[in-house]
Amino acid sequence: MHSRPQPNLGKWFITIFIIFPLLITQLYPLLWLLLYSLKNNDEILSGGIFSLPSYPRWENYVIAIQNGHYLQYLFNSLIVTFSSIMILLFFASSVSYVLSRFRFRFSQHIFLLFLAGMMLPMQSALLPLNLMFKNLHLLDTRWSLIFTYSAFAMPISVLILTNFMRSIPRELEEAAIIDGAGPIRLFTSIIFPISRPAMMTVSILAFISAWNEYIIAATFISSKSLKTLPFGAYSFVSQYAVNYGAIGAYLILAALPMILIYVFLSEWIMRGMLEGAVKG
Amino acid sequence: MKLTPKVFSVFLLPALVYYLTMVILPIGLSFYTALFDWNGIGQATFIGLGNFKELLFNDPLFWQTVKRNLLFALFSMAEIPFAFLLAALIARFFRRGQRIVAAYFLPVILSAVVVGQLWQAIYHPLSRGGLLNQILVLLHLDSLTRAWLSDPNVAMYALYFVALWQYLGYHVLIQYTGIQNIPHTLQEAAIIDGANTWQIMRHIVFPLNIPFFKISLILAFIGSLQAFELIMVTTGGGPAEATEVMSTYMYNQSFLNLHYGYGSAIASFLVMFSLLATFVLNTVFASLEKRYDIGG
Repeated sequence: MHSRPQPNLGKWFITIFIIFPLLITQLYPLLWLLLYSLKNNDEILSGGIFSLPSYPRWENYVIAIQNGHYLQYLFNSLIVTFSSIMILLFFASSVSYVLSRFRFRFSQHIFLLFLAGMMLPMQSALLPLNLMFKNLHLLDTRWSLIFTYSAFAMPISVLILTNFMRSIPRELEEAAIIDGAGPIRLFTSIIFPISRPAMMTVSILAFISAWNEYIIAATFISSKSLKTLPFGAYSFVSQYAVNYGAIGAYLILAALPMILIYVFLSEWIMRGMLEGAVKG
Repeated sequence: MKLTPKVFSVFLLPALVYYLTMVILPIGLSFYTALFDWNGIGQATFIGLGNFKELLFNDPLFWQTVKRNLLFALFSMAEIPFAFLLAALIARFFRRGQRIVAAYFLPVILSAVVVGQLWQAIYHPLSRGGLLNQILVLLHLDSLTRAWLSDPNVAMYALYFVALWQYLGYHVLIQYTGIQNIPHTLQEAAIIDGANTWQIMRHIVFPLNIPFFKISLILAFIGSLQAFELIMVTTGGGPAEATEVMSTYMYNQSFLNLHYGYGSAIASFLVMFSLLATFVLNTVFASLEKRYDIGG
């Protein structure tokens, strides 16, 4: 399988007939959407699958940004996503520290409790959470999303962080203990800083799921001013159902932050998603 | 180290309480609410297992949704050999295969709203400029053109395809990583011993890649349960309930029809279904790994 690549006919054949055509089916829809977003309705309806717009209709983007409140929703998504990640890192790292470093009676049970969480479909909690937040007067606030996203990211995060912390050699702490460091110092000055790579993985996984999440946001949030980007994009699409170009523009804008991040961090994201899948 | 009360109350207790209230408690409440006849506003009437009885023995639509979920999982799993083949070709012929894999992976990280709406536009009827129908016309297959998502006979298949499209890259990444993990020396030794490509595949790559097949399979299964969002942002379960799966049915029963008890019964079924399926998949792979003598 992995003998060194040889530039032969086989390679050309496979590249031209298998790998590139598939790559085109995977990426062409996105390119098509980009062209679509720069056309007016006439150009879209008159068809032609490779046709370019006669000139780029940037006004589609103006409509999307102004009438679609793009910047407001982008801002909301940023706040909700980053707050969820902060809360998640705080709780997940502290639990993982205890599970990886301390011996006590129920530690294995608690670890299993978190593991089991990975198999629970989040949808099943939607109605009870809705009722809980309503009673706590948290429905239709950013908190309802921040709490839900961070809590449901706990299982995979605790698993990844606990495994990572277990692999940190204890000699590092022993020196610090001799110097009189307590459990809190050990955590803040040794375990937490060393665990940064695992924290990065955990944050990437949480970022992708919170940033893209739609249904919980659409269920818990009703104020226009609090909508997150996926929810905002969906509302825009339903509202401007016949302004095809503007819909295309909004979808491009909605995908843009994630695509930009992917361009710069694709290695990290793939590694993180891979680890998420392996552990799941 | 020994767990002191201080460490317990600073590090463990708050996080544990948070997790129990936000994740475990709501799931438990689902099971409890399922025992009532309740529309969310009026008085809830305790009816024991009445909702479950209705769901399992008296609701043909529910079993339709279960069937669609299983089909969804089946299609997603059928994609894995394909992804494996693709990954094997990339690993064999490209020095910087990682970059090609990265391009395949891009759709995986897009939100269901973007992917769903993009494909909704692709599936639009000709009168609304749908790409798929335009291609069919170009190929002189006009008779096949249709409104893909409003035709109850094809809408579900159109949605299966979107999920396959979106997640192909995830499986390619997993299989590519698995293939790269196999030590080169094993294959070189086999080549020296005169093994052909098929034999190398059959006796080295395949068995050593089993843990990665397992990852892909579990992911395909979990992913098929999470098709929820894709369906909610495209068809919402319609037309005429033709694309309703368990989770959308649960959502529509709870939030549209306000059958809180009945919706909770579906939610509880979904929890048990997921736990059971994970258990079955793990058992199957434990025996496979034992047979080939590799630690998973």
